[in-house]
Amino acid sequence: MENVLEVKNLCKKYDNFALKNVTFSLPKGMIMGFIGENGAGKTTTIKSILNIIQSYEGEIKIFGLDNRKDDKTIKEDIGVVLDDMFFPEILTPNDINNIMKDIYKNWDTQMFNGYLKEFSLLPNKQIKTFSKGMRKKLEIAVALSHHPKPLILDEPTSGLDPVARAEVMQIFQNLLEKEECSILLSSHITTDLEHIADYITFINNGEIVLSRTTNELLDDYGIVKCSEKEFKDIQKKDYIKYRKTKYEYEVLIPNKKDFKTKYNISVIDKITLDELMLLMIKGEE
Amino acid sequence: MLGFIKKDLAMIKSNFKLLGILFIIYTLMGLYNKMDISFILPFISVMIMISSFSYDNYNKWDAYSITFPNGRVNSVKAKYIATIFLIIIVSLITLILSFIISYVNMKTIDYAQILISLLGTIFGTLLVLTFMYPIIYKFGVEKARIWIFLIIFGLVIVGGFLVQYLNLDFLAHFISLIENYLIIILIIVMVLMVYISYKISAKIFSKKEF
Repeated sequence: MENVLEVKNLCKKYDNFALKNVTFSLPKGMIMGFIGENGAGKTTTIKSILNIIQSYEGEIKIFGLDNRKDDKTIKEDIGVVLDDMFFPEILTPNDINNIMKDIYKNWDTQMFNGYLKEFSLLPNKQIKTFSKGMRKKLEIAVALSHHPKPLILDEPTSGLDPVARAEVMQIFQNLLEKEECSILLSSHITTDLEHIADYITFINNGEIVLSRTTNELLDDYGIVKCSEKEFKDIQKKDYIKYRKTKYEYEVLIPNKKDFKTKYNISVIDKITLDELMLLMIKGEE
Repeated sequence: MLGFIKKDLAMIKSNFKLLGILFIIYTLMGLYNKMDISFILPFISVMIMISSFSYDNYNKWDAYSITFPNGRVNSVKAKYIATIFLIIIVSLITLILSFIISYVNMKTIDYAQILISLLGTIFGTLLVLTFMYPIIYKFGVEKARIWIFLIIFGLVIVGGFLVQYLNLDFLAHFISLIENYLIIILIIVMVLMVYISYKISAKIFSKKEF
């Protein structure tokens, strides 16, 4: 399958944090959920992809082009929503349309106005008069209105109430039905991603912990809930992490089928991305 | 490129109401107190451009602009072009108002005096702005205020020292030598100031990370 985005051995050092050999790829036409707790390295990775951070080591390719050498060509075809970064708030959607038609060759005024109507955003109102949800919708409208091939979205639902979050996720789902687009969507709100993402890439403390299809992940991984005695019978190679709760042990296993054939433990729950993240981050080895 | 300029001009445009009010106040002051109003040029220009940097900073526009094609280059270039555009507009309005004030107060218009006074003010305004921009791009608008204060403070102390302890007759002599070409020299110096300041800002921004 053709990859729209390829990140290979991305490294970036700060005084108190480092990205360590971050490697993953986003296949064409797919949505990848990029998950991890706050401060895990999601935004640093995305900023590196977009060259907002330049002094990194490793290789990043978009449409097979080097993201530093071919920056201008690549940026014509990328749509971006970033957490907290946007146009100055004294501008209006009309101003933005006027500006963007001279920034992107493919800017589609009709499409932008269509989104404004769909999202009930008044074109002559200053951005500062919009609620957080409205502002986020405007950011999305801006990102979508030049027919981008990949969309790179950093926490697009952060700070939104559940209704606005659902609306925003619906926009992305509709987009995938309408256009051939690939999406890298970073979020720490994993419930948003379970139904929409084809792939999940999980970053923890600057390292990629896993990058797999969502179906594989949710079908293969599981949580065994068992007593202390049962837990002690489980071999270390058969689980990833565990957590001791008040009444039982919660054990993260990488393969439910294999586990069932080997052990006589009946309670194996399907895993959610929230539980996966929690056990991966807080669990013991 | 044009899109980036439009963005800065749209931000300047949002200050037009304030601009109008200031012009009315200063025109009235000029009419009643018979004073030169060319000082409003640096006042208005610096105020509007600093507020534009503040809005950019508040909404993290600089980082966002990098996600657009050629964003690192165009966003700095646009700021300089918009500044020049603002100075031209404010200068033209100041010029017209100065003519009116001069005519009302003295029943005559001293064109040469007004033009020279305005040119000097444009020079001063550009000096301040071209000095400030690289510092703003380097440190951000908030920290830049402290740096600008410290540097101006340092320059005043050094300048004061030079005036007090050194013989500056040669400077007066030098100015009398170039007097006839002062306007052309002033214009060339202004172009150089803008060019050098732009090059420094562009270099800083091309390496900046957010």
